[in-house]
Amino acid sequence: MITFVVRRLIATVFLLIIVSIITFAIFFLLPKLGGQTTYGLATQYVGRNPTRAAVLQVEHQLGLNQPLQVQYWHYLKAIVAGEHYSAGPHSVYCPPPCFGYSFKSQQPVWPQMVSDAPVTLSLAIGAAVIWLVSGVAVGVVSALKRGSLIDRLSMGTALAGISLPIFFTGLISLLLFSYKWPVFPDVQYVGLTTNPLLWARNLVLPWVTLAFLYSALYARLTRAGMLETMSEDYIRTARAKGLAERKVVLKHALRAVLTPIITIFGLDLGLLLGGAVLTETTFSLHGLGFFTIQAIQNQDFPEIMGVVMLASFFIVIANMVVDILYAYVDPRVRH
Amino acid sequence: MKRHKVLGLAAVGAAGAIALAACGGSGGGGGGKNTSSAAFNAAVGAVYSPSSQKGGTITFDNSSGPDSTDAGNTYYAFNLNFTRLYATALTTYKSCPKLCGDQVVPGLASSLGTPSDNNKTWTYHLKPGVKFEDGTPVTSQDVKYAVERTFDRSVLPNGPSYFATLLAGNAAHYPGPFKHRSKNLMGLTAITTPDSSTVVFHLNQPFADFNYVVAFPQTAPVPPAKDTGADYQKHPLSTGPYKFASWQLNKQYTLVPNPQWNPSWNPQVKQLPSKIIVNLNVNANDVDNRLLAGDIQMDQPGTGVQAAARAHILSNPTLKASSDDPVTGFMWFYYINSKVKPLDNIHCRMAIEYAANKTNLQTAYGGPYGGSVASTAMPPTVLGYQKFDLYHALTKPGGDVAAAKQQLQMCGHPNGFTTNISYRSDRPREPASAQALQNALNQVGIKTTLKGFTAANYYSNFAGVPNYVHSHQIGLAAGGWGPDWPDAYGWGWALFDGKSIVPAGNTNISELNDPQINKWFLQMEQTTDQNQKNTYANDIDMQVMKDAAILPATYNKALLYRSPKLTNVNVNSYYGMYNYGTLGVKQ
Repeated sequence: MITFVVRRLIATVFLLIIVSIITFAIFFLLPKLGGQTTYGLATQYVGRNPTRAAVLQVEHQLGLNQPLQVQYWHYLKAIVAGEHYSAGPHSVYCPPPCFGYSFKSQQPVWPQMVSDAPVTLSLAIGAAVIWLVSGVAVGVVSALKRGSLIDRLSMGTALAGISLPIFFTGLISLLLFSYKWPVFPDVQYVGLTTNPLLWARNLVLPWVTLAFLYSALYARLTRAGMLETMSEDYIRTARAKGLAERKVVLKHALRAVLTPIITIFGLDLGLLLGGAVLTETTFSLHGLGFFTIQAIQNQDFPEIMGVVMLASFFIVIANMVVDILYAYVDPRVRH
Repeated sequence: MKRHKVLGLAAVGAAGAIALAACGGSGGGGGGKNTSSAAFNAAVGAVYSPSSQKGGTITFDNSSGPDSTDAGNTYYAFNLNFTRLYATALTTYKSCPKLCGDQVVPGLASSLGTPSDNNKTWTYHLKPGVKFEDGTPVTSQDVKYAVERTFDRSVLPNGPSYFATLLAGNAAHYPGPFKHRSKNLMGLTAITTPDSSTVVFHLNQPFADFNYVVAFPQTAPVPPAKDTGADYQKHPLSTGPYKFASWQLNKQYTLVPNPQWNPSWNPQVKQLPSKIIVNLNVNANDVDNRLLAGDIQMDQPGTGVQAAARAHILSNPTLKASSDDPVTGFMWFYYINSKVKPLDNIHCRMAIEYAANKTNLQTAYGGPYGGSVASTAMPPTVLGYQKFDLYHALTKPGGDVAAAKQQLQMCGHPNGFTTNISYRSDRPREPASAQALQNALNQVGIKTTLKGFTAANYYSNFAGVPNYVHSHQIGLAAGGWGPDWPDAYGWGWALFDGKSIVPAGNTNISELNDPQINKWFLQMEQTTDQNQKNTYANDIDMQVMKDAAILPATYNKALLYRSPKLTNVNVNSYYGMYNYGTLGVKQ
């Protein structure tokens, strides 16, 4: 098992390096192939009507005139060993993992991501709990009451949840519950340690909005899985043994259904930890998703690189955890 | 160009010569009448709800954020407005309604600059007794250093470049005071400080508008020992009525009263609220909702409410009475490139001028509340503006197809021609505008292909790169503009002077290089005679339109919601939005 984990960890590092190379190529190599000059790139970061001397100064300062492989090497080196950046009278030390220095905000990228991470963690984990519990519960009930009014109502709602975009449901929920009936007024992120009650109150709408989308998906998956499992022979056997229906459903049927659900849950959560872009934008939550949008709008390559790397890290780690869980459950996977 | 919005209209020239009729009363620290009656546009021509009551909190929301809170590193119009609360430049704009707000007046300096050597040398004397928030006296060296640090574009990239281009001595190669600090600190030879309260600027050419240049907050003093470079934005040392209490990048910053502040330092700003909060990167629709619900008092960018809120406000008489729809001085238009074939032929360009459907362009830019149909290359807010209509934009706003076809005959393409239209695809109104233009041109046989680019690199890599424009046949490019200062030079030099054409980041996308226009700009640099400047302004405007280098779309307007809780609310003509320097709040 330890060998398997170590092997997976090494593979994870390589995977992240490959992601970094691809991302770096997208933002620095492709524009070059498209004819963009380093002078043109530097012009983006010098403000309006710059003098030629100013552009050349920035081009040099940001290292844009160096060969791409050298720029990439500096990028990797900074992640491992940190880097000093000239940002005024004194240079600024960006400790590892240093994901570069933002051309736009003139700040190191990593501390910005660290500062935004609690928002995304709060949002993703809270919503995940809601969607997992509600989605699975609704799915199970729908499967058990197949064809009933409850089933139709649940699946209809689920369909709506999947179909309606978050920027619609989010704004509607704000309009109704923050402005028309101000149950959750002035929604803005408050740190968990600052005021736990306000933290929870202000996150209720984002949690529910985000969970509405995912729980719909999970409800349909659970329902489909339950319907299939409930028709299996071993369920019939369990019933024939005289087991209580509750035990049959929870211990035998649901357990089998949960395996793929947990797998998807791991991946979904990993993806969200890299930033719930739409939810954060709709509710003005300054998390990693919001950070990503800003970085893209500003064409701030170091920030985009940083957030892509972090999101990749979460997804790869989530994959690894799932793989390890599989290996634990099924020893054949280890080989 | 001040980014996003800007503007101005009649201003007093460098000599402060013009008398502005609107400057009459005493509201808001300047001229204009006062009013306490809520009505549509009540704060456009008057100070709404005048009060000297102190205390309370004003909360601003911003769907984006400032380019920097460092006053030496900003170009956004709303931020030039807002930084006056904590940064005092040598000169500033008068706080009063109507055109009076375009008047440049002393800020940190005791009077406007004294020109000498044919406007090549400008001398300013600092007001006595001005201190930083820590009690340290402000000296002329602090002003010199503030300008020096803006030369390092790798650390402070956002502000205007006027000092780098105008100053003499070693300015062309001066790297700023951060690199080789022992050598470069106070090493900018074009600024001298004969004593602790006098600062002298030596220019490489006559420049009569220099009082406007030093109104940029790049001249707000910075003590060298306290400068932290890029991090200075986290707590710029205040010389205004407020100082920073907290700062979180891209999230929020708060200001509290500066205890050192003395109102005599700058009468154009007030110290009324006991706290000012600015929330950044708030969802744009949510900003409007919070504004209408009373959770916040001001939308910081000052560019107007979103479409949903606009419909809500205009359909509700009570809300409408709490709103203003001022002309901002910003303008939307299309550059018509004079080098890309067949638009190098003036008649082909004129065909576009006639064929464009101005009504549809106005609709694309937000309808009548978003702007009025434009017929000139300068908006009515520019000093010296005179109305004219060479291409029937006002008499035939749907387009003059017959005249367009006649011009096509004269340009040798009676059945039309093909070209490309570039626009910023992430600007909400430009795609619709480009589509409207494409449809109108199609009516006369001019076939166009739309090319969308992101706003972030529109000027740096695409429309602002002449080589790219030529190789990709960009005949028309969407643009928007606001002046750096409210006269024709501040509006148009970067757009229309041949010397402003640069290989990247070009703002003269028309590549207009008309010797007569260049000559008028040169003459504007040399005269402080406001009447003469006004004549040049009209001459330039007329000639640009005769050259058919610009297709005017709209003179921008912005529907602003005026929170009933605010006091001293008035639209400043130069900033084109509410004056943030004088606001108070009811308790």
